[in-house]
Amino acid sequence: MVTWKSIQTSLKDPLKALEERNPSYYARYAGVEDEFGFNLETFAKWEPVFRFCYEEHFKVRVRGIENIPSDGSALLIGNHSGLLPLDGAMITIAMSNQHPAPRRVRYMITDWFFTLPGINEWMAETGQVRATLENARKLVDNDELVGIYPEGLRGVGKTFKERYRILDFHPGFVQLAIERQVPLIPVATVGGDEIFPNFVNVKTFAQMLKMPFFPVTPAFPWLPFPLMFVPLPVKWMINIHKPIKLDYPPEKAKDRKLCLKIAREIQYDIQRDLNRLLKERKSVFSAWTEDDNGRSETP
Amino acid sequence: MKAFATRHKQFIRNSHKSEDYFGFELRTLAKLEPGLKFLYEDWWKVEFKNLDAIPNEGPALIVGNSTGLVPWTAMMLIYALMSRENPRRVHVVCDMDWIEDERVHHFLRELGFVPWSSDNVKRLLARGEIVATFPEGIASTQKTFSQRYRLGDFDWTRLLSGVEEGVKIIPLATLGLDEAVPVLFNADKIAKLLNMPAFPVTPFFPFYPFPVNLFSLPVKWKMAFLAPSQYKKETNRDKVEEQAKAQARYLEGEIQAEINRMLRARTHTFAR
Repeated sequence: MVTWKSIQTSLKDPLKALEERNPSYYARYAGVEDEFGFNLETFAKWEPVFRFCYEEHFKVRVRGIENIPSDGSALLIGNHSGLLPLDGAMITIAMSNQHPAPRRVRYMITDWFFTLPGINEWMAETGQVRATLENARKLVDNDELVGIYPEGLRGVGKTFKERYRILDFHPGFVQLAIERQVPLIPVATVGGDEIFPNFVNVKTFAQMLKMPFFPVTPAFPWLPFPLMFVPLPVKWMINIHKPIKLDYPPEKAKDRKLCLKIAREIQYDIQRDLNRLLKERKSVFSAWTEDDNGRSETP
Repeated sequence: MKAFATRHKQFIRNSHKSEDYFGFELRTLAKLEPGLKFLYEDWWKVEFKNLDAIPNEGPALIVGNSTGLVPWTAMMLIYALMSRENPRRVHVVCDMDWIEDERVHHFLRELGFVPWSSDNVKRLLARGEIVATFPEGIASTQKTFSQRYRLGDFDWTRLLSGVEEGVKIIPLATLGLDEAVPVLFNADKIAKLLNMPAFPVTPFFPFYPFPVNLFSLPVKWKMAFLAPSQYKKETNRDKVEEQAKAQARYLEGEIQAEINRMLRARTHTFAR
């Protein structure tokens, strides 16, 4: 529960508030050097904001959080959604609050965020890493949880008509998984595609402003500044599948055909799960039932 | 009849060779053909990609997605393969046990529909016929507009005979039907009363008298055969089942991904 009091305390001394609320997370990451610039204080400052979204606004339900290992590296592979990529943030919150051994998730993000002054530092301090194969390798070697959205930026810019339709996955993540022998964990997220219904993509504005896309939603760009970024209170469901261990020798990482085939199969798995969850969902704004929480159903 | 004979000379010649195992009747198809032609060419303006994927000779199993009670997809497939350069007859395998009305049952069989059973499929494939199946099964009749172009689970048992016989399995992606016949909701209670798997309520059905209630919107259809796959003939039962399961999952994903791609590339919904 996020209350006004908890926000006040976390504003005054974010680190202490985090230590009190989430001691094992604090113990795990306090005073640990990070070469990509993770900063626990920034994380502690912003965590309540996203936790508010998680608990009150989106009322996120998570299935199968126990499928994520407490130690060791793993790649989280998901379907990308939402114009502001909140799906990654929600999984980060789930991992730091609902998991028996809270961990951080390092998301690989596109270069564009690093061209924005202010945002780039904030992104790095909350744990995001610029998406290159080199960085991903380093993270995996450091036993971190690495989050990858293989649809890339195209996935974020989907229009409302294309909601929950996965674009073809880039096979780079399979290459990494085979090379470093780490498990893949597919994650299906329902809800993200409807928080900012994107009707059209104005390409001329996007080019002018050097943005990857210029969306037009019911709120953006019509309303004054903070209001246009307020997401609709869609109720989310995150379904985490069982880890997939790829039994291939590391040399196989160079086999492009094999990588592409595995990437496709994982893409199809997530798409099938999305179809199933959408069929199960009663309506966009009605909450998922209480017993959904913790019940894990993975195909 | 005469016009049909001149238009589809090759088809009549080819289908003469394949006997009427399950009560196929060329006359019924000939009667329906102008209607199918109108739907295919003028109303839905079906754009069929890669139609040559079907071999001119020998067996093949077509696996597709479908929606609704009226098997429009199957009919369009029958017409497409009938009117191409090397025409072939398609045997559409589907659930027909729930149809109690003998006349409807008969009519469908005369068009080339075959009641679904592994045995029937195997027999047809062994004789070198083309079989089409829609493995979503009964669940596909219950789809509503909000679930448009989202595939249900594929029933792997429907692929079993194809994998066992080692024939070419050709996926078929169809875009258009889910919007051409927009199902607003499913009247479960009426369906139960009438002993039907689903009772779809569209803007036209069941409100208008008979031919009008089958009215559909002139949505542009796109159909495409995707890359075929083939297995070696296998006799080990466990292996066959495993392969069929894997194949069903793969085909479902493949067809869904192709539909997603088609939707993304589509510039206008209605045919013009």
